[in-house]
Amino acid sequence: MVERRHRNSQRGRFPTTDNPSLREIISFIIGSDDSAFMLPSGWEVTTAVLLAIISFPVSLVLTRFFMQVNARRGIFGIDVHKLSKPRIPEMCGAAIPVTLILLSSIYVLIGGGNSIMMLAFSLVVGSAAVVGAVDDRLKMRGIYKPLLTLLCGLPIVALGLLFPNQVYNPTLQVPIFGSFHLPVIYPLSIPVAISVTSNTTNMLDPLNGTMAGGVSIISAALLIGVLITAPAPSAVFLYACLLFSALGFFYFNRYPSRAFAGNVGQLSVGAALGALAILSRTEIASIVAMFPNIQNSFFFLSKIKRFTEHRALTAKPTKLLDDGRLASSSDPKAPLTLVRTLLVGRPAKESEIVSTIFALFLVSAALALITMILIG
Amino acid sequence: MGLNHRAVALQLIIFVTQWGLMIIGFGILAAVVGPLRIQSDPSLGRYFDAAVKAMIALVLSISWLFIWDRQVRVYFYRKREDIAEPV
Repeated sequence: MVERRHRNSQRGRFPTTDNPSLREIISFIIGSDDSAFMLPSGWEVTTAVLLAIISFPVSLVLTRFFMQVNARRGIFGIDVHKLSKPRIPEMCGAAIPVTLILLSSIYVLIGGGNSIMMLAFSLVVGSAAVVGAVDDRLKMRGIYKPLLTLLCGLPIVALGLLFPNQVYNPTLQVPIFGSFHLPVIYPLSIPVAISVTSNTTNMLDPLNGTMAGGVSIISAALLIGVLITAPAPSAVFLYACLLFSALGFFYFNRYPSRAFAGNVGQLSVGAALGALAILSRTEIASIVAMFPNIQNSFFFLSKIKRFTEHRALTAKPTKLLDDGRLASSSDPKAPLTLVRTLLVGRPAKESEIVSTIFALFLVSAALALITMILIG
Repeated sequence: MGLNHRAVALQLIIFVTQWGLMIIGFGILAAVVGPLRIQSDPSLGRYFDAAVKAMIALVLSISWLFIWDRQVRVYFYRKREDIAEPV
């Protein structure tokens, strides 16, 4: 009875300021101020999310466009985990960086967000996409990708030095224990962080949809975390943009794939995650969310002991059985990738492994969300 | 949707353990290592101070990865030691 009276008192109350909060607007429309319906901030966050949703159809259309263009130009990859070995258009992941840069530019043009931050983000994503595209076309040696992606982090460092406290904050926020200031180490570690995130994302795309689906889960969790804890419009916009553009690409990349991301998509998406971790101060939560990527890359490198391409490996981590299932390799020289670990003693269909990897991403994303809540 | 429930459960244990260790590690860095003044000279001492702290962080990271490595090998490759010799 008390609750009903309270609700009635809010119903139809016209927003009292020129810049009404979302709480006031929703109260006006639905006649309730129930916090379950509320986003944590007002117009700016709502605008950021609504604009970011546009990235889904944009990414979808661009992926379709790249599928047709790349197929006409003979840019194909072979889906080696299928018995029929179908040829799939490659480099279609270019749709994601193009969408991210396009939407970031529009967001700045309509007056939303921090333009310096958007510029830093766009430069990082764009340069990583260029490195990926060059690698896709020229098939560089494995060592060049980590080296060149180190350079992709430099725009954040340079803009951070030119515009202090507008791009990154060198005080690392730690769950439970507070924070600590890293004026020297933090800027030095930015290029390393971008290189690590971009290459680790690049390495965990062996099966249909794993990269796009995994990144969608990571960005969704971090977006929720940002909305719950500190909903800065720019961070909300960029995470939502990454989520919806990855989902747009995922539509064609999911099992069974009709489009492959290529290094252009994988490196740029990884760089976007790294840049966002720095720009939106979600460093530790991002590390947690990327646990499956970290495990895959660490075990690959610890076994192979050098940066190399999968195509250059003599011992493959998995093998395709006659019935179409995947099995762990029995070759002792093969790297212990995440997919191989999940297949130990239990051959499985590709779709089952993809589902298991998504479940792992859900676990790490949940831990990342808890981390953000603990940081506050 | 044929999930490998055993693998997910084992990975859950690994992730939660690594997550806890990571928070403790960052806690050590924030509460103990960060406030240390190894060299307070305002010029080059600042960089020496940062380098020593970075080395401590690196040692902690390597220990963290080592524990991760042991867990995966114990949970997944224990009966298949021939295909997973230690790093």
